[in-house]
Amino acid sequence: MNKTLNRRDFIKIMNVTTTGVVIVASGITLTTFASVSEIPVTNKKRWGLLIDTNKLTETDIDGMVNACQQEQGWGAEIRSTASQKPGWIKKLKVKDKTTNKVSNLALMCQHCEEPPCVDVCPTNASMKREDGIVLVDKHLCIGCRYCMMACPYDARSFVHETLKNQKEHMPRGKGTVEACTMCVHRVDKGETPACVESVNSEAVIFGNLYDESSQINQTLRIVQSSQIRADLNLNTGVRYSGI
Amino acid sequence: MKHFLVVFLSLLVSSVFAYIDEYANLGEQASSIKASGKVFHESPSIIRKMHPELLRHKRDKTLRKGIRTNNYSLKGCVSCHANKNKTNNQYYSVDKKGQFCSDCHKKVGVSFDCFSCHRTTLREGLL
Ligand code: SF4
Ligand code: SF4
Repeated sequence: MNKTLNRRDFIKIMNVTTTGVVIVASGITLTTFASVSEIPVTNKKRWGLLIDTNKLTETDIDGMVNACQQEQGWGAEIRSTASQKPGWIKKLKVKDKTTNKVSNLALMCQHCEEPPCVDVCPTNASMKREDGIVLVDKHLCIGCRYCMMACPYDARSFVHETLKNQKEHMPRGKGTVEACTMCVHRVDKGETPACVESVNSEAVIFGNLYDESSQINQTLRIVQSSQIRADLNLNTGVRYSGI
Repeated sequence: MKHFLVVFLSLLVSSVFAYIDEYANLGEQASSIKASGKVFHESPSIIRKMHPELLRHKRDKTLRKGIRTNNYSLKGCVSCHANKNKTNNQYYSVDKKGQFCSDCHKKVGVSFDCFSCHRTTLREGLL
């Protein structure tokens, strides 16, 4: 290491290195490079989901769970007990006691605007991106599981065993907490979450809640929708209609 | 005295070769970039010393701000510095004995925790 390296030299070298990376990388692939944004996400957008429980069949929900597992690589934990196994997205049946009407829900992290999981986290590992997606920064997570206690939706899971062969976009490891990321790695590329893509009908809509021309915004304007546990005033990003 | 000199010199020479050998295992793509004469890391000594900071900076940008460029991404490191097992056509994990990351970390006696969560082999077709 050159001891006399000063800040300016370092920056100069770094710039050259960066250019080098661009040249080599673009030679190898252009497709992934083209869609990568260098601009931080902003609060001009708020990503959300609208789940229509009247259209969503049980098979659809199973498909969503499956798609999530395939995409993010969870569900094959062999050394965990049933209650320890991660569940990023769950199938839930709710029954109206009066009419006996049964609705099937897909329940995942609701990406709250005022997330209790973030409030209680002692290390700032639980965090909300500017665009409303709530994530766990596993570099900082100490596995205290306060967030799991604080989440009203039981949306988070703790990894109880050593894992191997994770997905390259989804680092997961023993001793940290995880939950639905709204497929942030896909969203950042301009794609939709895996669960949304797995449903053939319009039962699940993904989009920017703020954008008045988006399908999700327009649908939310006409249909009656609700937030689960709206009484908690968390202003969830995941909305449901038909319940 | 002469004997000592011979022993000393041979030790010196072998340690030089050992040193070179230590960094010979660059990984497939990194080796081919090096062989082609292209410069990827302008200064390997900076990368050697600064890669933890560069990676830490990058991880915050990616995770918290959604900036998913390839520069200094761990995925990028792995995809260049991974080696393939020629017999079964599978990649070795970069944190396995004798592979790029573990080799150097072992030499300097610094443990690293990236790969208890991050994938240790590249998925082909990435980068
Ligand atoms: S649903 Fe739970 S995990 Fe998700 S943001 Fe809200 S409190 Fe946090
Ligand atoms: S388990 Fe991790 S993310 Fe959850 S509160 Fe504790 S440190 Fe924060």
